[in-house]
Amino acid sequence: MKTIIQRILFIQLVFAVSILSARTQDANTVLKKMDEVMFSPKDMTGKMKVVMIDNNDKQEIREASLQQKGSDMRIFRFTSPASQAGIAVLSLPDDIMYLYLPAYGRERRIASSAKNQNFAGTDFSYDDMESKSFSEKFTPELINSGNNAFILELKPKSPSDYSRIVVSVNKTEYYPELMEYYDRGNNKVKIAKYSFKKIGKYWNSSEVEMTNLKTNRRTKMLMSDISYDTGLTDDDFTVRKLKQ
Amino acid sequence: MIILFVASGIVKAQESDDNKLNISGELISDERFLFKDKNDWAWNENRLTLKFDKRITGNSKFYSEVWIRNIGLPCIYATSDLYNKGIIDPYNMEIREANINIYGFITKNLDLKIGRQLIAWGTADKINPTGNLNPLDMEDVLDFGRHRGSDAIVANYYFKSDFSLQGVYIPFFQPANLPAGIFANALNPTMELPDGMTLLGFSDTIQMPRYNLSESFTAGLRFKGFFKGVDFSLSYIRGYDGLPLTTRNTFIPVDLSGGVNIKSQLSFMRTHIVGADFATDIAGIGLWGELALFIPDENVIMTNDLSSLYPLSPVPVTIDSIIIDKPYIKFIIGGDYNFRDGSYLNLQYLHGFFHEKGAESLNDYFFLRYEKSIFNQKLKLAPVSGALIVTDWKNIKDSYTVAYLPQITYTATPDVELTLSAAIFDGKGDNLFANMKDYDMFMFRMKYSF
Repeated sequence: MKTIIQRILFIQLVFAVSILSARTQDANTVLKKMDEVMFSPKDMTGKMKVVMIDNNDKQEIREASLQQKGSDMRIFRFTSPASQAGIAVLSLPDDIMYLYLPAYGRERRIASSAKNQNFAGTDFSYDDMESKSFSEKFTPELINSGNNAFILELKPKSPSDYSRIVVSVNKTEYYPELMEYYDRGNNKVKIAKYSFKKIGKYWNSSEVEMTNLKTNRRTKMLMSDISYDTGLTDDDFTVRKLKQ
Repeated sequence: MIILFVASGIVKAQESDDNKLNISGELISDERFLFKDKNDWAWNENRLTLKFDKRITGNSKFYSEVWIRNIGLPCIYATSDLYNKGIIDPYNMEIREANINIYGFITKNLDLKIGRQLIAWGTADKINPTGNLNPLDMEDVLDFGRHRGSDAIVANYYFKSDFSLQGVYIPFFQPANLPAGIFANALNPTMELPDGMTLLGFSDTIQMPRYNLSESFTAGLRFKGFFKGVDFSLSYIRGYDGLPLTTRNTFIPVDLSGGVNIKSQLSFMRTHIVGADFATDIAGIGLWGELALFIPDENVIMTNDLSSLYPLSPVPVTIDSIIIDKPYIKFIIGGDYNFRDGSYLNLQYLHGFFHEKGAESLNDYFFLRYEKSIFNQKLKLAPVSGALIVTDWKNIKDSYTVAYLPQITYTATPDVELTLSAAIFDGKGDNLFANMKDYDMFMFRMKYSF
């Protein structure tokens, strides 16, 4: 009798694991497809407009140019407001970052703890801005497979400000439509809404709106003048280029 | 020249947006008042900074920065001064930088920059013992590390993205300018005279290097690299120390009660400077360090000529003091960290400030700054900011100075910053900040960027 119960339990366990594995497998596939949509261009050049909106609907606008190669090389250069124009950040693999301040005429290596702070005073953290693929950073689980979207729950693989992120992935084109960020206390703290447009063969997140639920502030990031695969090389992401 | 260049640029700017002349700049109003003496005005500066930036071709660029300033207070002693607008309303203009950059000159790996420029060497924050190419601008001693531009040719050759070699040639020597206004005496050492002697008058002459190609030049070489997460550089400079040293004091008796006049001779020390620096990141903490070894061409000896006090002596009466008789090292190490709550901490330890020379004269400085931004980064507070200076570790209680420099900055609009700060000095001994202990002040600064 005991053996039979053990066998039944074992079969149930195998079945449960299989279901879980299948769901995880599906979740992994969905997340990988989302990564392909978001990170497939070899390089990207464009302009970014950052609109910060406080809880009284007062707006502050910052503009920047952006160059990116792969998922870990980026030069971000402010073009306005005047007080910040010319300030540039070069991000390289292994969390190596340089800040260029025109007033001092030199680059400065910045501590990677700068990633603890909000990006350029916006509601995006450096983590949010990082272009590392989601599959590298998170373990996904499929929560729901609705009519129009897959709902995935992403849990960080390494220590993060977030305990989990719930993401809605478009079922047809596999781009993210909505992300809900939960802090370590499992409180929903931020919501990001994405608008995607197809430019050439790539889907581009032409607008992202991040709402900080704690402060009620919003930040919109609008991309324009986007060019993909223009042949940027590693030499375009050096301190030499940062200072030019 | 610049006006012509600017004017031609404006015309050409209409032709192409990419090559247009960009004009930006800042308006700064910097007002400081002493805490004591009915809040005497300690500093008045209204500065218009104009920056001209123009891409000439795809691989060349023009840049210039000009300061137009109203600085200081009217110094009027007689009616005749009222006829002089320069005295009533003191102003000056300074070309800080004016240069042409050519990227990929002859070969794609070589960049060339010609003209007046700032050459920033070192990895530390504002205070760089290895940065000795540009003359020090000590006009405002609270603006640590400010330099003036040098007329120079700078070539950078990039071997790979991680390694480069920089060569610098500055054809003629430019000395440092000394502190202005109430800071004027901050760098003067206390003069100790023998018992019974009183200083009634003082004058000096400075011997400048001869302006020719072999004597007046400054040259430098810097190899820069990146290896296993560490930025580093090795550098060498052949140049002058921009602050003069006294080489001779001649004592001249004035009266019978011990009053003397002193005539001093000063000259600039020719030196080799070998430097090294690094910057890296360990566990989110930014770390940096710099070291500079100063090797003077010859010993610096100060001769005190007392012959006039002993007219009957058959031989000249002189007393020599050795100022520098061996190489000496200045260095700095520091680190910074950004906390999750948005605050920032920066710590630096420096051995040997800009103006200190000779192994025996180098003091120890600890700099600390903690700042935090609140109200969506509209308000930046630096409640803990300042320095501790120790001049003699064996007798700290009589040879320390504390400089407390708290600051509040309010970003009124994206382009307007208002800053309230204070500078409070306390301590004993003979060092830059101890000499300022009678000048505790509060400061207001407005900066508008356009």
